[in-house]
Amino acid sequence: MDSFRQAFGLLFSLDKELMQIIGVTLRMSFFSTSISCLIGLPLGALIGTKSFKGKSFLKKLIHTLMGLPPVVAGLFVYVLFTHYGPFGSLNLLFTVKVMVIAQVLLITPIVIGLSSSFIESTSKPIIETARGIGLGNGRIVRLCLSEGRASLVSIVLNAFGRSIAEVGAVSIVGGNIQWKTRVMTTAIMLETNKGKFSFALALGIILLLIAFIVNAGASFIVREAKND
Amino acid sequence: MIDVKSLKKEYGERTVLDIDTLEINDGEILAVAGANGSGKTTLLKILAGQIRPTGGELSLPGKKLYMPQQSYAFRGDLIKNVTLGNADREKAVKLLEKLGLSRLADKKAASLSGGELQRLSLCRILARTADLLLLDEPTSACDAKGAELVVEAIKEYRGETRCTVIMTTHSPALAMNAADRLIILNNGKIEADGPPAAVLNEPKTDWAKSFIAGWKI
Repeated sequence: MDSFRQAFGLLFSLDKELMQIIGVTLRMSFFSTSISCLIGLPLGALIGTKSFKGKSFLKKLIHTLMGLPPVVAGLFVYVLFTHYGPFGSLNLLFTVKVMVIAQVLLITPIVIGLSSSFIESTSKPIIETARGIGLGNGRIVRLCLSEGRASLVSIVLNAFGRSIAEVGAVSIVGGNIQWKTRVMTTAIMLETNKGKFSFALALGIILLLIAFIVNAGASFIVREAKND
Repeated sequence: MIDVKSLKKEYGERTVLDIDTLEINDGEILAVAGANGSGKTTLLKILAGQIRPTGGELSLPGKKLYMPQQSYAFRGDLIKNVTLGNADREKAVKLLEKLGLSRLADKKAASLSGGELQRLSLCRILARTADLLLLDEPTSACDAKGAELVVEAIKEYRGETRCTVIMTTHSPALAMNAADRLIILNNGKIEADGPPAAVLNEPKTDWAKSFIAGWKI
């Protein structure tokens, strides 16, 4: 109960640091989810609707990458962006931008894998019908995405959930720097390490609250899409 | 004219289609019958370009339209479904009326019954122009009245456009009422070919005799 009181106390007092952490968390999750979906949904639709040589291998690779451990993704991006790495000159390490890059690496395979499986299982009659009236490939992919948009919202939510709850990759490449790259999950980890369990729990409750609000919004969109 | 030579489709060791020659005249309505798995849909899908044959030669007219066996209701109302891909709205309205769906025009396509959905799929096809119509069991989900409307619409479209129509069917009534010619497939091969009345009333082989005897008119 103490944690609940503390969580709502922190929220209503508009604690400056907490608001900054929430801001960074939402900014990072928004961009990593958006970029992953912009890359992953069209690719998923293409893989789901097309037959080509090597498709089976590609699907296996994507399914493997869906289970990529966040710390491995973080380490990989760290090596790329460290001072001596190939992208070291960009000076992006320990910034929100590189946290987004690490999360895109982590989330894009999930979006591709889920959307291609979904589209593959539901798109056959759509493709047959659309091809039958002479529609082009681009239009068919758009139709498949549009027809399955209620389910695709769930995939986007899944990606957002993965992003907002992720801790391994962002702590490696972001460094959990106060007022700069600290997000909800890394803050919870820090407070737990400091033994401030009730504060950490309060942060956890706020994180859940954010996830609930996003889900409620998405459920509304799904309901509207189904009624369309 | 449509010209098919040595057309084959194999899945592994199984041959599902094996047609030596098949010529179809311009403007002809051809019904393709046969038991399940006899190669009807495979033939249609090859002609529609939906699947590739294992071998053979095909000579087809330029523009073709294909209506799959499984009808699909896209999001939105019936008009939106018929005009999908910029077909003419006025034409769509007339077709919905012709196929007995005008009272449902502003309803969601997903709310239609199987027979209504099949007629909607036909509207989607007939709202466009083509040299060749490929219809996979266009009346399979329709009741007698619905099937009658489908036959009338196909014949009228052929009359207006002089296009060739190839349709698969399990319905002798459809073959008799709509087609100029009927072929019956057996294990991917053409077993009978001719005007529907002649094929149905004077079968030439024992297999054709027993198949037609099992067909309820």
